[in-house]
Amino acid sequence: MIAGRLRQEERRTIMGLLDVFKGKFVDPTWPGVHAGGDIITTRLDAVVKWGRKSSIWPMPFGTACCAIEFMAVSFSHYDIARFGAEVLRFSPRQADLMFVAGTIVDKQGPILKTIYDQMPEPKWVISMGVCASSGGFYRSYHTMQGIDEIIPVDVYVPGCPPSPEALLAALMKIQEKIERGAQARAPQGAHRLGAPGDGAIDRRERRQAWARDDAERARQGLSPRGVLAPPETQEPAKAHDV
Amino acid sequence: MSSATETSVPPTGVTSPAVRVLREQLGDGLLKVEEFRGDLALSLSPGCWVRAATLLRDHPELDHKLFLDLCGADFLDKEDRELRYEVVLHAYSVSRKHHVRLKTSLPESGPRLPTLTGLYRGANWFEREAWDLYGIVFEGHPNLSRILTHDDFVGHPMRKDYPTAQRHVLRRPREWLLQPGEAGEHTVVNIGPSHPAMHGAFRVQARMDGETILDAEAEIGYMHRNFEKMAEVRTYWQIIPYTDRLNYCSSFMNGHGWALAVEKLLGIQAPPRAEAIRVILSELSRIMDHFICIGANVVDLGAITPFFVLFRAREVIYDLLDACCGARLTVSYVRIGGLADDVPEDFAARVRRCLDSIREVTDQADRLLTRNAIFVNRFRDVGVMAADDALSYGWVGPCLRGSGVAYDIRKDHPYSGYELYDFDVPVGSVGDCYDRYLVRMEEIRQSCRIVEQALAKLPAGPVIVDDRKVALPPKSEVYSNIESLMNHFKLVYDGILPPPGEVYGYTEAANGELGFYIVSDGQKCPWRVKVRPPCYNIYQAFPQMIRGGRLADAIAIIGGLNVIAGELDR
Repeated sequence: MIAGRLRQEERRTIMGLLDVFKGKFVDPTWPGVHAGGDIITTRLDAVVKWGRKSSIWPMPFGTACCAIEFMAVSFSHYDIARFGAEVLRFSPRQADLMFVAGTIVDKQGPILKTIYDQMPEPKWVISMGVCASSGGFYRSYHTMQGIDEIIPVDVYVPGCPPSPEALLAALMKIQEKIERGAQARAPQGAHRLGAPGDGAIDRRERRQAWARDDAERARQGLSPRGVLAPPETQEPAKAHDV
Repeated sequence: MSSATETSVPPTGVTSPAVRVLREQLGDGLLKVEEFRGDLALSLSPGCWVRAATLLRDHPELDHKLFLDLCGADFLDKEDRELRYEVVLHAYSVSRKHHVRLKTSLPESGPRLPTLTGLYRGANWFEREAWDLYGIVFEGHPNLSRILTHDDFVGHPMRKDYPTAQRHVLRRPREWLLQPGEAGEHTVVNIGPSHPAMHGAFRVQARMDGETILDAEAEIGYMHRNFEKMAEVRTYWQIIPYTDRLNYCSSFMNGHGWALAVEKLLGIQAPPRAEAIRVILSELSRIMDHFICIGANVVDLGAITPFFVLFRAREVIYDLLDACCGARLTVSYVRIGGLADDVPEDFAARVRRCLDSIREVTDQADRLLTRNAIFVNRFRDVGVMAADDALSYGWVGPCLRGSGVAYDIRKDHPYSGYELYDFDVPVGSVGDCYDRYLVRMEEIRQSCRIVEQALAKLPAGPVIVDDRKVALPPKSEVYSNIESLMNHFKLVYDGILPPPGEVYGYTEAANGELGFYIVSDGQKCPWRVKVRPPCYNIYQAFPQMIRGGRLADAIAIIGGLNVIAGELDR
């Protein structure tokens, strides 16, 4: 349909990008829309964000069960392509959204961190499923209790595994964040890593141990515990830098 | 546990040739012969460990060539035990259809045992695991290093005095799997763990001469999320959801295997309707698993269309599972003694829809792949595995059958009523990737046959045993009479209390023999649960299979082995 429209437009003297959308996506009565939609005035920032959110290149960091459900989302039945996010990149350098799908164990931790660091800015992270978000029901000696111990997470998706609809909802949340220019900057759970009380299986006991530890460190003039340093406080790339 | 043998009836297992031969040859080295629920267990003194295993494998009357499992166990502070640790070996004889369990006890200080790596190739990783998790030293082992946990880990986590959730942070992953330094002109290539062909959780390091792999080594443990340790602090029910996440491509089959193992321990059997439904859903799960295996394998080779095609039928099966239990992937539908609930009314129609869809996509994939020249060239004569090697590594399932050994637990040791159904066991002739592919394709068709027969014969009746010590009473009764209410309360509060004893329950899962070795001390949580994961044995052979081949062949081989991380690392 767009192609047919293009041929129509070609007969006119000059064809610009926005001619394609004329009358289709652009309401000619909006302020900023001139000459019936031939000219639009807007901020470059807004255009870039619009482009970014409509063509997300996700990198699936799939390790376990959630990765199988992620396949279901990316295949024809649920069709992630409807959200412009179907170009899965297995190279972090070509991706701007990471789906962490599956349990991350302590052995995998440094690898996840490396992969995350290799993604260019700006980048977003979806923690798919309870294992990636909090360790899930694996309260055990080798399972990371949430990937936010080492990398920042933008959207947490509950479920074991989450339903495909929930994952699509998370993708839409990421699109909203992109539009707002928001991005998680520091690992939210870094203070938990290596803290005393880590061996406690009871949640309440663990929280109390962390609180005691934080208080003790504050008394010594130390910041809350975080074994891996949070990434340098770096502003996300401004839209007009692109 | 030893208390299981304190019965007046002499164990029937004494009559088996394994006992006679070992008693003749070892004399006092054979300390005890036990039989519990049909499982034969022989306790040995550590001194004759290797000799007993050699006899077991090589004696013409025994012929236990199939290595199944080797694991450690910790009996800290158990009154009936003099020694703290135990090493347990499971082996099987394909020709005699006979399982044997060998056990030996080791002291608390410096547990040591000679290695079995010279006998069974598969023992290598299992002994490493026993050292990693229990600190049992295997003398003469070629590479006794951490396998499931990481290098900065302190202590041996499966010991009973290790806190369940005590973590250690890994600062730096292991850089070299091969011996460093001697690379010379050769390039060392590292694949994984975050590599699409390694499916997220395995790592291989290969020393290359051009395109040829000179040497290779594999590393695992990137998904070690401690099923076995969690199982020791959970009741028999609570473990069902954990089993779903072992082989998550075919969740239902794991729960089925777990329920059968616990039912064996309890000495009960699920009602016929439950067994038939279990068979139907297990076979559909097997089909789903094979779809993922074949689909992912060809995606790794560059063909994505078959995966899209095959996945269509998976969605139809997901719908069926969703209608039965409300979950798509991780189903938790079995219960000890039956099923959580009866199937929906339109079950038969839904299953037929599944079968139609499966047949359609299988035929499509067949047309796309089986005679496709590129596919055949990539697969034929690649990754050949001889039958003897496969047995020594402990391969079971489609991979072993691809190598020409017609061992299928559904035929040889039928469970859940498989003896009622008519089906064939496909067997390969060469043992290459193409054979493994063909076996899987044929198994899909045979599974369809089983499902059809089971559906036609689906009996009416209850779906869970009427035993208030095992199964919850129906809700209507709980709300209407006090006795059921108390039964409900007691069962939820106390859990299922099996008799003390140890069993090895095994089923034919999609990848091969999925075994659960359960040691019960009569409490509501198992004392020790060991999963015998089919992938663990299969992936162990991978470095040897790719040695001398091309790097691109390695990618073709690993997809066809269908290694599932959740099951591999548990």
